[in-house]
Amino acid sequence: MSGLLSLWPRSWTRARRSNATMVAATVALVLFMWLLARPLASAPEPIGPAAEQFAEGTRVTVELTLVAGLAGIVIGLLAAVGKLARFAPIRLAAEFYIWSIRGTPLLVQVLFVFLALPMIVPVQLSDFNSAALALGVNVGAYNAEAIRAGIQAVPKGQTEAARSLGLSPTQTFTYVVFPQSFKIALPPLVNNVVALLKDSSLAYVIGVVELSNIGNRVQAATFQPVPVFIATASIYLILTTMLTQISGAIEYRLDVEQRH
Amino acid sequence: MSLVHPIASLPDERTPLIVAEGVNKHFGSAHVLRDVSTRFYQSEVAVVVGASGSGKSTFLRTLNRLEKHDSGRIVVDGIELNDSTKNLDAIRREVGMVFQQFNLFPHLVALDNVSLAPRKVRKTPAEEARRAALELLTRVGLEDHALKHPHQLSGGQQQRVAIARSLAMQPKVMLFDEPTSALDPEMIKEVLDVMKDLARSGMTMIVVTHEMAFAREVGDRILFFDEGRILQEAPPAAFFDDQRNDRIRAFLGQIVH
Repeated sequence: MSGLLSLWPRSWTRARRSNATMVAATVALVLFMWLLARPLASAPEPIGPAAEQFAEGTRVTVELTLVAGLAGIVIGLLAAVGKLARFAPIRLAAEFYIWSIRGTPLLVQVLFVFLALPMIVPVQLSDFNSAALALGVNVGAYNAEAIRAGIQAVPKGQTEAARSLGLSPTQTFTYVVFPQSFKIALPPLVNNVVALLKDSSLAYVIGVVELSNIGNRVQAATFQPVPVFIATASIYLILTTMLTQISGAIEYRLDVEQRH
Repeated sequence: MSLVHPIASLPDERTPLIVAEGVNKHFGSAHVLRDVSTRFYQSEVAVVVGASGSGKSTFLRTLNRLEKHDSGRIVVDGIELNDSTKNLDAIRREVGMVFQQFNLFPHLVALDNVSLAPRKVRKTPAEEARRAALELLTRVGLEDHALKHPHQLSGGQQQRVAIARSLAMQPKVMLFDEPTSALDPEMIKEVLDVMKDLARSGMTMIVVTHEMAFAREVGDRILFFDEGRILQEAPPAAFFDDQRNDRIRAFLGQIVH
């Protein structure tokens, strides 16, 4: 869906429309998190009295998504480059990481980080940090495959042209291959982040007080699951919509070939 | 500038810019280069011709190590091509390459395509690199297209940007790998004209092409590749007008020119 992008004047340049959309969607997201309690407070029972809780749960969900999402991009990039490395131990390590993470349930990973990891290394992370770590590591494995596919989709001639100009392998990756592969990888990366936002609800099992946890608590206290879960789901839907608006704007900007 | 190249008359008194000696290359079981030996001199325009699969493009690509040769020696400007990345980086800075498929960077406008390598490899200040890039785009007649992305340019224009991009590194020699083979007929001339200008300016050029008129007009020497070997090296007049080799005569007979 085109959404915000189509609202701007036709005379604006691609970059300007893209910037405007990113700014507008980001401002909307911040305002939404900041002011959510007010409209919710005027909602009827059982939402109104729990408005502040819902707002707080939403903030935690967004924070969790942002922290894990950023970590996931960095981890994904490293694992993608690792998987394409010539040096076998690095390649095997990256392959093992992707294979094991994608092959096991996220719920098990969240529980593992919170309950089992402290038995192995002498560090006890908070519930929030444990969830962020598990989610970041999880989405990183999926990101790695998206980024790897993007890198491999860049024609070999691009590398040959860059190398024959004297660019080093690192410069070739930084200035020629990566910008092109990022554009190719963006749609699947957005998919992953949207999935991450929703999967952050699994933090609930280790006691993180995020949006789904709040929903469950409120319905347990009021015995009114229908309005409570409709409200909970609606907030998720609004969040994912804002996310896709921002990513759509980035994609639009990178589309210099103007296919859209 | 003078079109006269003294190489033809005094080949042995000059230091060759590129020496290839007994170069062999396999792709799996296919023996694509067989003991190829030749020399290229300063300001010479060497035109490499031959049928598809004769090894001419592969040979060109070994000269800046886009393909590794299996045995033999290749020395460019006194530096031997081997596994030393230091040697390789030094050589690639001196050897420009123009590809059949242009290989412009699609995410960068023409100006940035041209100025990227000088900025990152030669560490030329951005403003100076831009100015030099604009000059080069002017030289290939594309100053009005400097801020366009490759997809907004025709094939001929893209190839001219690609030539400007290679020239920006001020190479000592330019390799052309079938530079007009992917172009519509009406765009071939504009690219060949740029190449002729370049030859006139004294640039050392090695050109793989099927454009026999260009080879005859601009070439100082024709190298004919056949089954991975150099079957013949000759000046254009002898090659085209006094060809004794039946195989080459048959090849020339098939080329429409």
